[in-house]
Amino acid sequence: MSRLDALIDALASDAQPVRPLRSPLKRALSWLIAVAALSGALIPAVADVGQLAARYSGREALMVVELSAMLATASLAILGAFFIAIPGRSRRWLLAPVAPFLAWLLLAGAGCFQLFASTGSTGGGVADSLDCLFFILLASLLLGAPLIWLLARARPLEPLPVALLGGLGTAALAAFMLQFFHPFAVTFVDLAVHVLAIALVVAASALLNRRALSAA
Amino acid sequence: MPPSAEDCLASDSGKAPDAGWGELLAAAQQGDAAAYRLFLVSVTPFVHALVRQRFWHADGTEDVVQDVLLTVHRIRHTYEPGRPVKPWLAAITARRAIDAARRRGRIGAREVSDAITYETFADPEANKPHAGDTARALQRMTGALSPAQQEALELVKLKEMSLTEASAVSGQSVASLKVNIHRAMKKMRLLLSKDSSE
Repeated sequence: MSRLDALIDALASDAQPVRPLRSPLKRALSWLIAVAALSGALIPAVADVGQLAARYSGREALMVVELSAMLATASLAILGAFFIAIPGRSRRWLLAPVAPFLAWLLLAGAGCFQLFASTGSTGGGVADSLDCLFFILLASLLLGAPLIWLLARARPLEPLPVALLGGLGTAALAAFMLQFFHPFAVTFVDLAVHVLAIALVVAASALLNRRALSAA
Repeated sequence: MPPSAEDCLASDSGKAPDAGWGELLAAAQQGDAAAYRLFLVSVTPFVHALVRQRFWHADGTEDVVQDVLLTVHRIRHTYEPGRPVKPWLAAITARRAIDAARRRGRIGAREVSDAITYETFADPEANKPHAGDTARALQRMTGALSPAQQEALELVKLKEMSLTEASAVSGQSVASLKVNIHRAMKKMRLLLSKDSSE
């Protein structure tokens, strides 16, 4: 008996029943719907939604498009993470959140420029924006923990891209939630701190990837 | 001869030979050992062909195939029943072949293989190849000495006798022994330095 035959016999004798994972689409949507339900219940109760509307007064279209770009970045990144964690699924999911992410940055930059043009404000010191940094980091941690648990169930063969997309998704979602708690219009300094926070979350996810996602 | 990867992939549509793989793997997920065994046996040629295509080191192919089967076992729950098996299996195989190639590259860059280092013989003396060289060199050098010098060297340096004892055994005077030993050593040093320069 060859080594291969012996291995096949050993594996077959260890054929314990396993529960197949549901499709990545269903799993990702379940997570997104759970987060949406929780946020939908918590945010109106805790945040001042009226303040967000006042902040974008006269720029409602920009607000809608910018928030949509944030949500699209988060949703596509989360969907992509669930998809590419499964062997044989399209690698194009890696590129899915790129366009909305760039659109979000451009729109946020345009908003900052509008503010600068009208008031001449580029923002206060970095210290004023540190709350934003901590908000994004903490919210990403809270959102990311159950996400990592779900993604790790697939034991991805390549954990790094899964971790990158998962990190980007949670950070984008945290940045979206931050909009409801932001007491002043986003300035250039503010935007830079938001981007830094997102980069930190993505970098931390990348560093933790293999261990956190139980790579096969 | 196992089918090539192209043959296997080309037959993905129509009457594909993997038509039953999905059912077998789904049954294996339910704990059916016979179906699982059949699945592993039937996919092995396909895996083999893909590994040969992506991993160019013939001596390591078998190890990569085994690694693929072990990975299939670990993540068989990620196969979604009803979907084609081949893309799933091909992705696992490609990943493991790449991992093996990288591992091989890393080892090749940092380690040197010297198989003879580990070769041993039942006779412990046979494992000291340089000991034979030294003995032969010594024999050649002593052969170049005069009989009196050889005798003096043997008694005083090899048998570790005192000059008085060696004198009694050989019949040479103590002074002659000293001179012969001195000349023998000088001649041997000369021969040794000639050998080194060659």
